Amino acid sequence: MTFVQFLFYFFAAIQVLAALRVVTVKNPVHAALFLVLTFVSAACMWILLEAEFLGLLLVLVYVGAVMVLFLFVVMMLDVNIAEMREGFASYMPVALVVAIIMVVEMGMVLTQRIFNVRPPVEKVADVSNTEAIGAVMYTDYVYPFEIAAVILLVAIIAAISLTLRRRPATKYQTPIEQIKVRRNDRVRLVSMKAEKKENGS
Amino acid sequence: MIPLTHFLVLGAILFSISIAGIFLNRKNVIVLLMCIELMLLAVNTNFIAFSHYLGDISGQVFVFFILTVAAAEAAIGLAILVVVFRNRRTINVQDLDEMKG
Amino acid sequence: MPDLTPAIPEIFLLTMACVVLVVDLFLKQEQRHLTFWLTQLTLVGLFLLTWNGMQTTTVTTFGGSFIRDSLADLLKLFTYVVTAAVLFYSRDYLKDRNLFKGEYPVLVLFSLLGMMVMISAGSFLTLYMGLELLSLSLYALVAFNRDSSEASEAAIKYFVLGAIASGMLLYGMSILYGLTGTLDLASVAERLAAAPEHGRVSILFGMVFILVGLAFKLGAVPFHMWMPDVYQGAPTSVTAFLGTAPKLAGFAMLIRLLVEGMDSQQASWGQIMMLLGVLSLAIGNIVAIAQTNIKRMLAYSTISHVGFIVLGVMIGSNEGYSSALFYTVIYALMSLGTFGILIVLSQKGFEAEHLDDMKGLNESHTWLAFLMLILMASMIGIPGTAGFIAKFWVLQALVESGHVALAVYAVLMSVIGAFYYLRIIKLMYVDKPEREASGRQAMDTGVVLSVNSLSMIALGLFPGILTATCLAVFAGG
Repeated sequence: MTFVQFLFYFFAAIQVLAALRVVTVKNPVHAALFLVLTFVSAACMWILLEAEFLGLLLVLVYVGAVMVLFLFVVMMLDVNIAEMREGFASYMPVALVVAIIMVVEMGMVLTQRIFNVRPPVEKVADVSNTEAIGAVMYTDYVYPFEIAAVILLVAIIAAISLTLRRRPATKYQTPIEQIKVRRNDRVRLVSMKAEKKENGS
Repeated sequence: MIPLTHFLVLGAILFSISIAGIFLNRKNVIVLLMCIELMLLAVNTNFIAFSHYLGDISGQVFVFFILTVAAAEAAIGLAILVVVFRNRRTINVQDLDEMKG
Repeated sequence: MPDLTPAIPEIFLLTMACVVLVVDLFLKQEQRHLTFWLTQLTLVGLFLLTWNGMQTTTVTTFGGSFIRDSLADLLKLFTYVVTAAVLFYSRDYLKDRNLFKGEYPVLVLFSLLGMMVMISAGSFLTLYMGLELLSLSLYALVAFNRDSSEASEAAIKYFVLGAIASGMLLYGMSILYGLTGTLDLASVAERLAAAPEHGRVSILFGMVFILVGLAFKLGAVPFHMWMPDVYQGAPTSVTAFLGTAPKLAGFAMLIRLLVEGMDSQQASWGQIMMLLGVLSLAIGNIVAIAQTNIKRMLAYSTISHVGFIVLGVMIGSNEGYSSALFYTVIYALMSLGTFGILIVLSQKGFEAEHLDDMKGLNESHTWLAFLMLILMASMIGIPGTAGFIAKFWVLQALVESGHVALAVYAVLMSVIGAFYYLRIIKLMYVDKPEREASGRQAMDTGVVLSVNSLSMIALGLFPGILTATCLAVFAGG
């Protein structure tokens, strides 16, 4: 077994085991953390496949942003774990059977000759993966790139319009009002006679 | 060298786990969303493996866009989840049975 | 630099959507109607731009990922019309519910952009991006009434099932990419046609995933379970939108993926589509009878109409595609009108969504009842209405291609389906009203609604132009 093969099986095993834990673990926080583990080992495997840029992107965008968002929501919503586990055991046999049948069937198709005739092509040009993606991203794929920008804009609009709410009871600062304040609005000079110091006590 | 089929089978296993997860966690929307992320990971594994073995960059570009869209999707999905939780104080899908059919 | 001229409508729409978004920020609630009219102006502009740029030849740009052909132009024009009408219908509905906000038209415009991208998609990648742009905007629109627990429940169901469907579609695309080495649909078609014999199982494998994804998005049985809940839970104005315009884009998706991308595999996808069509007709028509909620009933009615469209595409001939295209357009217009009437009948604090709400409509709103009568007649397929021509054409194409048994089955199912449409007519004209109805609508809304409904008669009596256009779309390609 070569070193590369060892790495492949190592990362593949971690991915599969972590993915299994994601779907079976009790606590959603643990599930999110196992998903992080799955993503990190997937990123390693992608780097093995010479897709370095995407491997890094997966760690940065997915682990760095999306999974943090997940964890944030899990912790913000005070969910009742026990309630959500109801019926988990009764679904188990069905899920197991479905999964095993799917793996066997998909495996049978995917190990066919047609998927195995082509050996990996050796890189001809000496360009890095990032350079290769960058070269086509803004030329051949400029159209999907623009749509991706729109999709992100829609996500921003949707997320804000769904969750931003101004509660009537909340107190806000209005900086304009604060700046406009004059001394006279706040300070009142009261002329009082000086009081005599009493000599008692 | 690792044959292409090994990557494809890995993708198939991840895909099946995500389907099984959807069956198992029918009540738990947060884990359901995680299962969808797993499903996309399986797809991405396929695309990257094919891209490498075909010597064609377009598969990787597709993955780039899937990652972008999935991030947007997660943001909207979690926003909807927050709205559901505010309205019902639960995210248990089977409590969500106001509608019959 | 790619040629941008074919994509001018898309570029215009994107610019205007951003303009509407920014302009709306500076408007007070009383001035919000400016946002509305700016949106309508955008749609008029889009219509003119697309109309002026129409060509009989197919133009591709952005390296083949953008196609502009007569199919794209026709579908886009109808999508604009449907979107404009939905916005007219929804205006007062939204005002009554404090939902008349700037984000609403912006999200509608962005989902329209997604539909246009889908309609013009020339590669797996653009098709997926367009689909996601459409879906993400729709998820947000369904949840738009965020204080409604029903709407948010519908949104989360729609979101989860929609995301699973996208995952399925993507998995299928990844397999076909692996087999062909390209994302471009035209090249995929060429390489699939030249695929070796031992690759057939793998092609079928990828195709099944794509078909499952497609069936989910279109709402064909057995992947229809999201439709009734989403139709019922979403605000009626959103239901009207997501039940009409996206079906046009969904039809484009069917044609682009199956006909343009996998023409050589017609024998295999035809069989799967036949199964989907047969099941959709049965479940759609039979389960609709048991519904008491009109929005739910219309969801099942949609499923049965999708069955007809799927059967038309299944035939695999130009005649079949043309008939399915005609059916899709007519379906979008009829259900647009039906939802329009439901929206107009809904008042502040009251949703017209139960069958009983239709009781005695003739007494309170004679004209609305008459329009509803036309629409229901068209849904049934009574001769003289556009619905009849649409059904007749699909049936004719089925018989001509030798699927006589299927045609008989489709007629039988339509007869069963006629029952629940007739029930609405009976409720409107025979029964006494149960509640004091006070339907009012703005003048312009009423005109649009009337034109919309009466067009079913006009297209039923003079279908010539539209049928000829539908035939020409596929005869050229």
